[in-house]
Amino acid sequence: MSIKTLEKVRKRLEERPEELKRAREDGRKVVGWVGYNVPEEIIHALGFIPVRIAVGGDDRLVEVGARYASSKTCVFIREIVGAFAENQDPFIQQTDFLAFDATCLQNYRAAEVIEYFFKKDVVVLGVPRNFDWDEAKQYFAHEANEFTRLLEERAEAPLDASRLAESVALYNDIRKTLKSIYVFQAAKDNVISWEEVYDLIQAGELLDKQEYLSLLQQTLAELQELQQNPVIEGDDGNSRLFISGSLIPRGDRKLIGIIKSVGGRIVGDDLWSGILPHLDLDIKEISPAGVALAYLNRTPHAALPYLDLASDKRLKKLHELLSESKAQGVIYHTLRYCDPFTFKAKETKNVLAKSGIPLLEIHTEYAGSDYEAMKTRVEAFVEMIKIKSEITEEEGVLADA
Amino acid sequence: MVTISRFSYPEEIKDKFVATPGLKFKDGSTVSSAEIWEFMTKEAPLRFPYAFDAGANNIGRFSDDVHFLSGIKRGYLTLTLKDRVMKQHAAGTPTVLVQGGQAMDAYYAAGGIPVRPGLVMQWARNMEEGLSLRQSETLGLNILESGRRKISIDACNQIAAHAAIDNKVVPIDLIAPFLCLRCSDMSFLVETHRNRVHDIPRYMVDYPVDHENKPWAAEYIAAELRELIDKIAKLSGRKITDEVLFNEIKLENRGRRLATEIADLWWEAENPPTNSTDFFGIAFLANDFVGDPVASVDLLEQSKKEIEERIKNNVKGFGVPDHAKRLFICGSCVGPNAHHAQTAGAIFVGRDDSWSCISVPVEEEGDPYLNIAKSMLAYPYEQRTEKRAEWTAEMVKRSRADGVIFMYQWGCNYQSGVARMISDIVKERAGVVTTFVEVGELGRSEATEQSTNRVEAFIEMV
Ligand code: SF4
Ligand code: SF4
Repeated sequence: MSIKTLEKVRKRLEERPEELKRAREDGRKVVGWVGYNVPEEIIHALGFIPVRIAVGGDDRLVEVGARYASSKTCVFIREIVGAFAENQDPFIQQTDFLAFDATCLQNYRAAEVIEYFFKKDVVVLGVPRNFDWDEAKQYFAHEANEFTRLLEERAEAPLDASRLAESVALYNDIRKTLKSIYVFQAAKDNVISWEEVYDLIQAGELLDKQEYLSLLQQTLAELQELQQNPVIEGDDGNSRLFISGSLIPRGDRKLIGIIKSVGGRIVGDDLWSGILPHLDLDIKEISPAGVALAYLNRTPHAALPYLDLASDKRLKKLHELLSESKAQGVIYHTLRYCDPFTFKAKETKNVLAKSGIPLLEIHTEYAGSDYEAMKTRVEAFVEMIKIKSEITEEEGVLADA
Repeated sequence: MVTISRFSYPEEIKDKFVATPGLKFKDGSTVSSAEIWEFMTKEAPLRFPYAFDAGANNIGRFSDDVHFLSGIKRGYLTLTLKDRVMKQHAAGTPTVLVQGGQAMDAYYAAGGIPVRPGLVMQWARNMEEGLSLRQSETLGLNILESGRRKISIDACNQIAAHAAIDNKVVPIDLIAPFLCLRCSDMSFLVETHRNRVHDIPRYMVDYPVDHENKPWAAEYIAAELRELIDKIAKLSGRKITDEVLFNEIKLENRGRRLATEIADLWWEAENPPTNSTDFFGIAFLANDFVGDPVASVDLLEQSKKEIEERIKNNVKGFGVPDHAKRLFICGSCVGPNAHHAQTAGAIFVGRDDSWSCISVPVEEEGDPYLNIAKSMLAYPYEQRTEKRAEWTAEMVKRSRADGVIFMYQWGCNYQSGVARMISDIVKERAGVVTTFVEVGELGRSEATEQSTNRVEAFIEMV
């Protein structure tokens, strides 16, 4: 069964670079943003066209990036730097200036390298590491105002509060609709897969926001017609897997493809290239600081260290999403030199083990050389989960008998 | 059988040495030069034989310029760190894990002893005495590997210090570093302690990016400093007033001033008055204060006098090659082997990391918290990369360097990420040749060939 709107989304994505080109000819400006706490609504409300620069999966570009940012920078950032060096990506080509945040300092370093070597105009938003502190929030509010001032300079116009309110409302609708769609992929007898929803989420990083909302609403309507009451069940005969860890941007489908090829079913994620950034974003005040603080108050990104395990919101959210999706195991994806996620892999494994949820860490790069090794490990993990759920099922039958 | 050549101080310098002043310490105690001599010639070679290994691969090898008497006292401060810290710790002084390259004023003022990862490892290795260089390095490597196993193979060598704390090799009461733009691993390594049984209290002083013309950045740091000082003071029992803070700031400013004066004298001298080991050892005193700012400042004063004397008499430091190629060193936590470089015909004339924090005094009036915050934000090494590189180029010119080596450790993402950019800018602005070298073998004296070869080839090229 295929969702017709998804076809439309794919087509619109193909047409999008050309559309951006025309918009620029008409005087609009395209802002490429990179990071995890960039308040996109502010960019949108100033009349810019925001596109997220998140590309992966191309080992050749990683090599190119390493010439400027060393081979010890995370694979994702190396590829971004490589992509700017080559300037072949149709979306990168259309950017007038860039907005980076400093949630992850590798991201910040990339901003410096891209600005210096490729002469790009870059605006940086500082992000506090002691993010849950009142003083840190005050700092971030100032940073959001400064970020807005720099954007206003480039827009040659001040930010209008009513335009910001409209952008916030639009983005809120997008987030709400995405959440509704997300439930369908995890349901029994699902009519849409997690992979399809994942691509749909990432399409929103590039498409026009108003059109994107309409496409999401059409998708949701189709889904509701096909499956009126999606129910998430844990024992639906699949190995229900959850993906966590370093982001998996467009262009990188190695791990996702492997999971599918060995019969695993992905039913949820807390990736920063997936559903997570769209969750729990509650904008209480229509102002640059109000929007930015709502971003910071979401589940924190792993690049923002948190020193108390018991009250860690990231782990709490992970548990919550695992239970909602009724996942039976976690594949924890860590990119080479992505310290924010890699350093927490063993801890996350231990924490989940206490709840009886197994975790498999896959530490990888964009090269294809580890494909077979990864496949063997994922296959064994999927098999282990199957056996585990069969045993649990049998035990359930015996207990009932 | 492998014969190990041993370093020792010759008897003929003893009289001259014991006639020099001893050292004063912050607890009011003193040590005479005669006592220092006894320690460095009798006690230390037995307790820490590795430190007296004269092999060229011993990166921590003492300076062989034995006539530079302050250098011997510098060695004394290094080798007594363990005893001094353990004694103070036993008397109730809290030990605090910190980050390198940052001012220590706040930590000392609050009554703590700040120890950076490098010194934690030195302390950890010294906990077992009587070890040869190989044994001591193996001990260090075992700690490092245990850390990598527990956390990640992508971590830099700093993970060893965290493992030493975890494994209770050394007693640390608080883990509370400043974060900074140089370091990719510190914050995540501090975070790993949250899942340990020991549950050592943790805290971090955040360091904002792109902070120029942003008063809110300094206010944020100042608020964090208040919290930091409060946490240490609770452990030390010290009552913290502005006066206490300013007294410490004044003392450490004196150290910073002395170190910059020494550097200026050294750079202007016709002949380098000391070799690289002694020059760097002195500068480091004003950056770290090796457990005792009073003793460090005292030694800086003595060093300055000795260097002035040498310059007056046009004395060249022992080991400095004729027509030495002058190299400026960039990067954190690792540097080329001074002995190898000397043999290859070069001398080190500066280091961006240590010089960064020395070059910024803290204001001595007003709000001490805000003053420290502002000085931290002014560290040239922690600026935007382009600005940092411009400062480095200035230092390269001032120190009359002929070339620049940027070194970074395996796993040091932020330094490696900007190594090429800094090298390119410095090359363009200072008009000198530059190179960057990755080091993966810290602490393994037998496996340093790769980086040594690259450094030597560069020296030849210079
Ligand atoms: S979080 Fe990881 S993948 Fe993302 S920029 Fe930072 S290091 Fe790279
Ligand atoms: S080597 Fe780099 S990452 Fe490691 S402690 Fe030093 S600055 Fe930090």
